Amino acid sequence: MTAIEVPEVDYTEYSNRQLVLVPLAVLALAIVIIGGWYAVTGAPATLGLEFTGGVELRIADDGSGNVEERIETAFDRDPDSIRSIPADDVYVVTFRASDDDPEGLASDLEEQAAAAELETEAIDQVSASFATDTARTAVFGVGLAFLGMSVLVFALFRTFVPSVAVVASAFSDLVIPVAAMNLLGIEMTLGIVAALLMIIGYSVDSDILLNNSVLRRTGEFYESVNRAMRTGVTMTVTSMAAMIVMAIVATVFGIGLLRDIGIILAIGLCADLMNTYLLNVALLRWYKFEGVKR
Amino acid sequence: MLEPIKENWRVLLLVVVVLGATVALFAPQFGPETAPGESADEATQGITNLQYGLDLAGGTRVRAPLLGYTATDVAFDGENPSQVASDIAAQLDGTSARDVSAVRTTEEGGEVEVTDASVGEDEFRAAMDASGYAYDGIRSGVTQESRDAAEQVIQDKINEAGLSGGSVQQVQSITGEYFLLIEVPGQGRQDVIDLLEERGTVQIAIAYPDSSADDGTAVEEDVLIQDDFEDIGTASRREGSTGAYVPVSVVNEAPEGEQSPAHRFQEASVEYGVASASGGARCNYDMETDSLGEGSDSCLLLVVDGEVVNAFGMDDGLARSMAEGSWADSGNFRLTTTSFADAQTISINLRAGALPAELDISGQGTSSTISASQGENFRLYSAITGIFAVFAVAGMVFLRYREPKVALPMIVTALAEVYALLGFAALVGYPLELAVIAGFIAVVGTGVDDLVIIADEVMSEGEVNSRTVFDSRFRRAFWVIGAAAATTIVAMSPLMVLSLGDLSGFAIFTILGVLIGVLVTRPAYGDILRRLLTIR
Repeated sequence: MTAIEVPEVDYTEYSNRQLVLVPLAVLALAIVIIGGWYAVTGAPATLGLEFTGGVELRIADDGSGNVEERIETAFDRDPDSIRSIPADDVYVVTFRASDDDPEGLASDLEEQAAAAELETEAIDQVSASFATDTARTAVFGVGLAFLGMSVLVFALFRTFVPSVAVVASAFSDLVIPVAAMNLLGIEMTLGIVAALLMIIGYSVDSDILLNNSVLRRTGEFYESVNRAMRTGVTMTVTSMAAMIVMAIVATVFGIGLLRDIGIILAIGLCADLMNTYLLNVALLRWYKFEGVKR
Repeated sequence: MLEPIKENWRVLLLVVVVLGATVALFAPQFGPETAPGESADEATQGITNLQYGLDLAGGTRVRAPLLGYTATDVAFDGENPSQVASDIAAQLDGTSARDVSAVRTTEEGGEVEVTDASVGEDEFRAAMDASGYAYDGIRSGVTQESRDAAEQVIQDKINEAGLSGGSVQQVQSITGEYFLLIEVPGQGRQDVIDLLEERGTVQIAIAYPDSSADDGTAVEEDVLIQDDFEDIGTASRREGSTGAYVPVSVVNEAPEGEQSPAHRFQEASVEYGVASASGGARCNYDMETDSLGEGSDSCLLLVVDGEVVNAFGMDDGLARSMAEGSWADSGNFRLTTTSFADAQTISINLRAGALPAELDISGQGTSSTISASQGENFRLYSAITGIFAVFAVAGMVFLRYREPKVALPMIVTALAEVYALLGFAALVGYPLELAVIAGFIAVVGTGVDDLVIIADEVMSEGEVNSRTVFDSRFRRAFWVIGAAAATTIVAMSPLMVLSLGDLSGFAIFTILGVLIGVLVTRPAYGDILRRLLTIR
């Protein structure tokens, strides 16, 4: 048995224009989706409880078989969603914050659940004003992280085009998962914010590897790209495997935070494969063969 | 003799780190600190010294701001702070002077805060304008002094209520607003919120008959306030009845020229007819209408958070000693209540003190509660998730290299990294949470990434036939690893300081993992690989 090798791509068959076309089209599509989402819903993604405010209850499934019906009738307000987590024997019930009754909602719901003899395993309550604050902090945090990464990349390579190539593909790596979230119906949570920051850290690795191989090492361009690609693809695919497994296992057990991080990182790393080895390679090739001469 | 050590110091360093982590994890000396009244066995959870946070152990977390408004840069015009506070309080209808306080911060003036929840920003602004004191602006929230006091009071309340392991800290949001973050392991939501939502002000007032009032009752407020009590006893049941009481003494010393609270109380009791030489008042107070019943004498009212919780008269012996003026020498007194639970609450409130402002949990705060069983489930599930993720990584690495010599040390070093992090968590007592577990998984991910870079770099361009060749290739690989590590640290550092739920744990452990990786485990992996690959 031989080791699985990363397939070599013959880049000479494609022009820069062709290489760049696919990632830019995907990026444009992602931006259109997010823009459309913003125009229709007023937010770039479907916001989760932490960003809208509301109450989430985890209610134990006592095995009586009709818990779901009981949940539907137990509360004065209709729950916004009821999710079943079979592996953990619980139902996750969410209520959005309402403008008419922000006070004491969580306590009321807890009492109503108790009155209906439902056992509450966990309660999360987020007030609307706190949620707005969290959203602002999250945007600020992602922005700051992105800025810091960009500055660092420019400091490392000290050449314009290769640095821009890294920053551009990192940007695309962030935007594509957010658009994918909207399409898959995943809500924006704090776990997703952590995952987005992680993407900034992770995805840049393979770009740095590629740039380093092409710019700082001797050797012919295509040979350098292929060398970097062998390592980079292994890295990214390994991380993706870990994240996909984490997402699946965490979904089964109903651990929202780990599931969110897993899904988003898997999508982000997938986007990174495309951006690094199409967008970044094309920009580097242009820089190496045409940009430097000018 | 020193040569082998010098040659393999990187591997030795890793061994030392792993041993250190083992000691931190298992040695009883590094066990978690025990709370008062808790044995060392109770404090450790499971066989390791690891501590678990709320979402892995169960408990309640509350994050909420203190309600109030603060006027900044107020010129005191040479007045003392308490005069300024009472001048401004006078401009606010229905707000007691105790809900307005002024803090001197500079020679010329300071800050004035209002902590009456019913006063809005506009109202406060109007009162400030009317009071004639110049000020810079009004912000929501209370002063630093009040926040510090509130933090202390809540900590005391948690301790007095016997909730071990509870913690309080101040966190600041990006908009500059301050929140108190309160975590109480093992407690349900309602218990914690009941404890926190009450400000816990306790005072004694006297209701006395007044024919000019509509309901025939007049009330003298603040006859005794919180600070007037000392030596607060524990709540006790009254024999032969459902009632209970808290034994206290009233402070009977005062600076020269001032009247002590005990003497003031004694005088007021006599003045308003609670005590007289012939005996004590017989109280008949209607709690529903808040007025004295038909033919009732004056009553002492026990008022908690503005609500009358009990009204009582005075027994004849005590009344006579008050009338004679001898009671104030001892100042012993019993705050009687109708139920034992009330007595307990009052005892806690008196000992911990009152919150300087109301904690706004439902309006602007968040709270989350996880039951102990759910927490334990999460602990197991997240461990399973982590193990699966490691298997996924291991599987990929074996598929890629098919060479145990390369792949096995890779997985072992990546695991050593997580183990070292666990040791660190145990050492500093950082509670493990789901977010931290996510950080561990992220560390395995980045860790293996970097090991792949090292392995590929070292094995590229043919056989490694000398140490020099190996070293130069290893150094080349290290530039990329260093750069990648730096970007990860830069990307995660905002999360570490921003107040975004419990994600700071995720950031801290990812960054730590990257640091341990770059400084310890990756160099060690390089050494191991060199031994295995170098052809001598």
